[in-house]
Amino acid sequence: MNALYDWLTQRGREWSYAWSRVFYFAALAVVGALSPSVYNRATRQVVEKQIYFTAWQILPGFTLFVALFSCVFVQIVGATASDFGLYRYALELVIRILVLEILPLLTALFVAVRTGAAINTEVALMQIQNEFEALERVGVDPFRLELLPRVIGGTISVLVLTLVNIVFALVIAHVMIFDFRPWNLPPGDFARVIGKVFDGPALLVLGVKILAFGLAVTVIPISEGLNTPQKQIFYAPIAVLRGMVRLFFALMLIEIMAIAVIYV
Amino acid sequence: MAENQDKRKRVVMLAGNAERQRLIESHPEAGLVSETQPLRANLSVLENITMVLQFRTNTYLGEANDIGWELLSLVGRTDCANKRDPDLDYEERFVAKLLRAVVIAPPMIMIDRPAQLLPDTDYPAFLQRTLTALDQRFAQCWILDYTWNAPLYRSRG
Repeated sequence: MNALYDWLTQRGREWSYAWSRVFYFAALAVVGALSPSVYNRATRQVVEKQIYFTAWQILPGFTLFVALFSCVFVQIVGATASDFGLYRYALELVIRILVLEILPLLTALFVAVRTGAAINTEVALMQIQNEFEALERVGVDPFRLELLPRVIGGTISVLVLTLVNIVFALVIAHVMIFDFRPWNLPPGDFARVIGKVFDGPALLVLGVKILAFGLAVTVIPISEGLNTPQKQIFYAPIAVLRGMVRLFFALMLIEIMAIAVIYV
Repeated sequence: MAENQDKRKRVVMLAGNAERQRLIESHPEAGLVSETQPLRANLSVLENITMVLQFRTNTYLGEANDIGWELLSLVGRTDCANKRDPDLDYEERFVAKLLRAVVIAPPMIMIDRPAQLLPDTDYPAFLQRTLTALDQRFAQCWILDYTWNAPLYRSRG
């Protein structure tokens, strides 16, 4: 019993320490991102590179995937609603589930798997190989040059990818629900439903949620990578594993909180 | 600590590691070229050099590239400009670290244990050639080496 208690205490301490590091780094990143003095040509260049690798490189493929996914989703919702004689609610259902919930989460998960894992690995290796100290020795602040631009670039990328995908999904929803069956819904209904779903609070929650997703997919991997012990290369996979698991739960928690704010 | 009495280039002979560490720590302003100070592994040699310059002086990328290229030309190593750390041999890696330190014109450059940085090279001669090529780029250069390597330098006169 004592062993179990000790184990739980130890795990709890590690858990709270890890999350306190994440929140501390997130606070530093937010303050840093809002400080004009942080930016110079070198940092802007790293931000641009991060946006290129995180958003621009995957934009065509991911948008195509989201378009296909949206088609399937809209078709399923439309057909099911039609079967139950509730077709007039299909659009609202699509927007509420697909646009407000699934797409932002899907985008964040994709960026987390692709970029978050890469950032986690890179930061862990930099820490292991003492690259941060080497940068400091030549007068380069690693936080300003290597870490903060990744947070800014990653967050902007999640924001842009999500917005692009939302626009595509709305167009697809419009085409599939109205244009294929224009007799089912009165004209102007699309704008009315959009206005109804995207009211002030929903837009605010959506914006905050996407921003939180963007911060999470960069801040958590960086924080976990920075916690890697120096010169212990075998620790790199463990750091990535921990970062990814923590990130997954953080994304889910953000999503649940956003749903709770809107619907509970 | 025995010192070779050259005004700008000095070989500082050390009795042991503790003395070496103390010396390095007492000169934080020095550009350090050391095995313990790796290059950024996912950047090329040129990017490693220009990154420091851009960050420290807010130089335009094109201008920073020109300066980095010029430095590589001075030491005759333009062939490794686009290589990354794992693809570099010992001499190329040394040159990259040296130029990264030199590019911001620090008051002093410290080359830490060159035998460790250049294990396959007759390093006193190599250092002499390389530092002569970069003569106008630094005010002072200290080569930190152990006393048991002193004969290597003496044989060069």
